[in-house]
Amino acid sequence: MRLAFILSVLLMASCAKEQTIQKYFVQKTEDPNFVAVDLSPSFLNVDPTALSAEGKKALDSFEKMNILALRLNDSNQVAYKKELASVKDILKNEQYQELMHFNGKGGGASVKFVGTDENIEEFIVFANNKDMGFAVVRVLGDNMTPTDIMNFMDVLKQSKMDVDQLKPIQDMMKGM
Amino acid sequence: MKKLIIALAIAILPVMSFGQGAFDKFDNNDEVTSVVVTKKMFQMMGNVKNQESQEFLNLIKKLNNLRVFTTTNKAVTADMRNTANAYIKSAGLEELMRVNDKNQNVRIMVKSGATETRVKELLMFIEGANGKAQETVLLSLTGDFDLNEVSALTEKMNLPGGKELDKVKGPKK
Repeated sequence: MRLAFILSVLLMASCAKEQTIQKYFVQKTEDPNFVAVDLSPSFLNVDPTALSAEGKKALDSFEKMNILALRLNDSNQVAYKKELASVKDILKNEQYQELMHFNGKGGGASVKFVGTDENIEEFIVFANNKDMGFAVVRVLGDNMTPTDIMNFMDVLKQSKMDVDQLKPIQDMMKGM
Repeated sequence: MKKLIIALAIAILPVMSFGQGAFDKFDNNDEVTSVVVTKKMFQMMGNVKNQESQEFLNLIKKLNNLRVFTTTNKAVTADMRNTANAYIKSAGLEELMRVNDKNQNVRIMVKSGATETRVKELLMFIEGANGKAQETVLLSLTGDFDLNEVSALTEKMNLPGGKELDKVKGPKK
C-alpha cells in the first residue's frame, strides 16, 4: 500500500516535469493575449434522434473541443515567436504521434494524436500563418476511434451550430 | 563490449537515418510547399470503416510514408534534381518511365520488391508541372505495395503524376 503511494507520488512528480499541450492550454487560457474557446458536445446542437447509429456513437465518443489561438500583431512579435516556439517544442514530444503535416510559404499545419489506433484520447491540429498567428485545436475523446472521427465530420455537417461562439476564431482566421 | 555497441550504433545510425533524411532539408524550406503523411495516418485510415473501396483500404495499409515537395524556385529545383539523382544512385532505384510532354518532364523511379510489380519505394520527379505555374514536384512514397494499386491512391488524394502512373500499370494478374 505504501509502495503504491510512493509510486504514485513518483509518477505524478515525473509527469509534472513534462510540459504538455494540456498544461499549456490551462496556463494560457487566463492570458488576455490569447483567444481561448471551449466547446462541449451540446454546442453542436444536434438532435441525437436524427443521427444514424454511427453518428450517435461518434457524438458520444466526443468529449470536448478546446481552441487556443494567438494573433500576431505589430506589438507582440517577440512574445509571439516565443509562444510559437514553445508550442512547437511541446508537440515534438513523442506522445504526440504525427499523422501528417504541411509546410508552405505562408505557414504550416500539423495533425497529431495521443493514444492508440483504436482509442484516440486527444486529437490535435496545430496551424500557423506567418502574418496572422497560430491556433491549436484539441479534440478530446472517450474511446474515440478513427471511424468516429470520420463520422464526426458528418455529424458536424448536419449540426446547427451556434456560430457566434466561434466568432473570435473566425476573425482570426480571416485571410489565413 | 561497450565500445562495440557504440561502434555499431555509429555504423547503423547513418543507414537508418538515410532514406528518410535525404529529402528532409526541403521540409523546412520557405520556398518549398511540403506535405508529409506518416505511416500512422495510413494505418488509421485503413481502419476506418466506411464506404471506401476495399482496394483503396488494402493499399493504404501497406504504405509507410508519403512526402510531396513542391517549389517554383529555380535554385531549389536544381537542388531537388541533384538530391534526387544522388538518392536514386545510393538507394538503388530503377527508372520505371520517363515522359517528356510539352514543357513537362516526368520521371518515375522505383525500388523493386519481391515481384516485378511490387515496389518498396516510388519516387516521382516532375519539372514544369501544372502548366504555367511551372512547378517542380518531388514525390516519395514508401511501403510495400503493388504498382497496380497506386493509381487508386493518386486518384483519391489528388496527387500529381496520376495520369502518368496509369500508363505504367503492369499486366493484371
